[in-house]
Amino acid sequence: MTAVCLERKPVIVQELNKLESDYKNLLAEVEFERSLKSDHEVRHEKEIKQMEQLKKGGDVDVHLKQTAQESVDAWTEEASQFKFSSKITEADKQNDVKSLNRKLDKHLVLVVKQKVGKDSLYLLPQDLRQDGETLRQTAERVLKDACGSDVKAMIYGNAPFGFYKYKYPKHVRNENNSIGAKVFIYFARYQKGHLQSQNDYKWLDRAELEDILPPEYNKSVSQMLIDE
Amino acid sequence: MDPAVIKAREDRKKKKIEKQIRRLEKNARQLKPIEECEVPLGLLDEKKSRIRSLPALSTETLENRALLEKKWATYKKNQNLADIQMLDRIIFAQQKALDELRKESEELYQEAMQVDCRLLPYKTEGPLETPPIESYESPDGDYVDVSKKWE
Repeated sequence: MTAVCLERKPVIVQELNKLESDYKNLLAEVEFERSLKSDHEVRHEKEIKQMEQLKKGGDVDVHLKQTAQESVDAWTEEASQFKFSSKITEADKQNDVKSLNRKLDKHLVLVVKQKVGKDSLYLLPQDLRQDGETLRQTAERVLKDACGSDVKAMIYGNAPFGFYKYKYPKHVRNENNSIGAKVFIYFARYQKGHLQSQNDYKWLDRAELEDILPPEYNKSVSQMLIDE
Repeated sequence: MDPAVIKAREDRKKKKIEKQIRRLEKNARQLKPIEECEVPLGLLDEKKSRIRSLPALSTETLENRALLEKKWATYKKNQNLADIQMLDRIIFAQQKALDELRKESEELYQEAMQVDCRLLPYKTEGPLETPPIESYESPDGDYVDVSKKWE
C-alpha cells in the first residue's frame, strides 16, 4: 500500500517571539549608534540651520525646492496609503478546513476520509499497489485519484519517506491470507492547483493532525514530518 | 622570391594578431573594481562632519544588552540542536521505511533506490511577510542599468 502525504508549506513567516523581537531591536540600535550620517540626514540638518537663520532675519534664501522634511512627509503618506493584505484570512475566521488559505504560517497536510474495514477514518490518501507499478508510480496515481488532475505537487524522490504497519482484524485475515498491510508513505509538496475530490477532505495543521489521526498512525506520520 | 615574401607577410600578420590577443587577455586578467565594496573617497574626507554625537550609554543599558546577547546565544543553540535532532529523526524514519521495503521485495527496493533526476534543478520562493494581494496590478516601470562596463 502506498500513501501520499501532501503538504502545503507556509506562505508567511511566523510571528517573532519576545526574545527575537527584543534582539532585533537591539541590533537595530547598535547599528544606528555605530553608523555615520547619511546624505539625507546631512541635508536635513543643513536645512534646519537655514530655517533658523531665516527666522532670525538673516538670509533671504527662498526655498523653492522641497525640503528634506517635506519629502519624508510625502513618503510616509504614500506608504500609509498602501494596503498590505492581512495575515489572517477569511478562511481563518470561518475556520474552513477545506480551504488552503487558512493558517498561512503553518504547514498544512491533506487528509481524506477513507473506508478501512468497517469504519471510515480520516487518513492520508492511500491505495493498494498494483502489479507492474513501482511505488513512485503508485504514489502519483494515488495523488491523482485523491486530488483530481488539477493539483500540481512535487513528490520528493523515489524512496518512501515513512512507514506504517497494521494488522488486519481476524475475519479479514482469513479472507485474504495475509496478516496485515504495510503502508509506505511518500512525501509531496503542494505547489498549486485546485483540489477536486469526491470524498471528504481536510487540510490540517500539526496539532489537528494529532487529534484526528489514529495514535499509532499519527506517530509514524509525525516522525517523518518537520516539527512546527 | 614570391613564396618567401608571401610567407614573411603572413607571419608578420599572424604576429600582429597574436600580440593584440595577448594585450586583450592581459586586460581581461586585471581585477575590475566592485563599486559597492569600495568606500567612496568623498566620504573619507567628510568623515569628521558625519560622526554622530550621541549621549553615552549607561551601565544599565550595557548590562541589559550583554544579558540579552547571552539569552539569544542559548536560544539559538537550543534551536540549532533541535533542528539537528529533527533531521536525524526524519532520516531514521526514511531508513526504517527503506529497510521494511527491502524485506518486502528486493525489486521494489532497487527501484526506490534510483536517483530521481527530476528533483534538481529546483526553484522555490520562501515564505514572505504578508500574503500576496489578490488581483494586484503592479505598476509598470523600466530598468535603466547604469553600472560601468569594463572591457
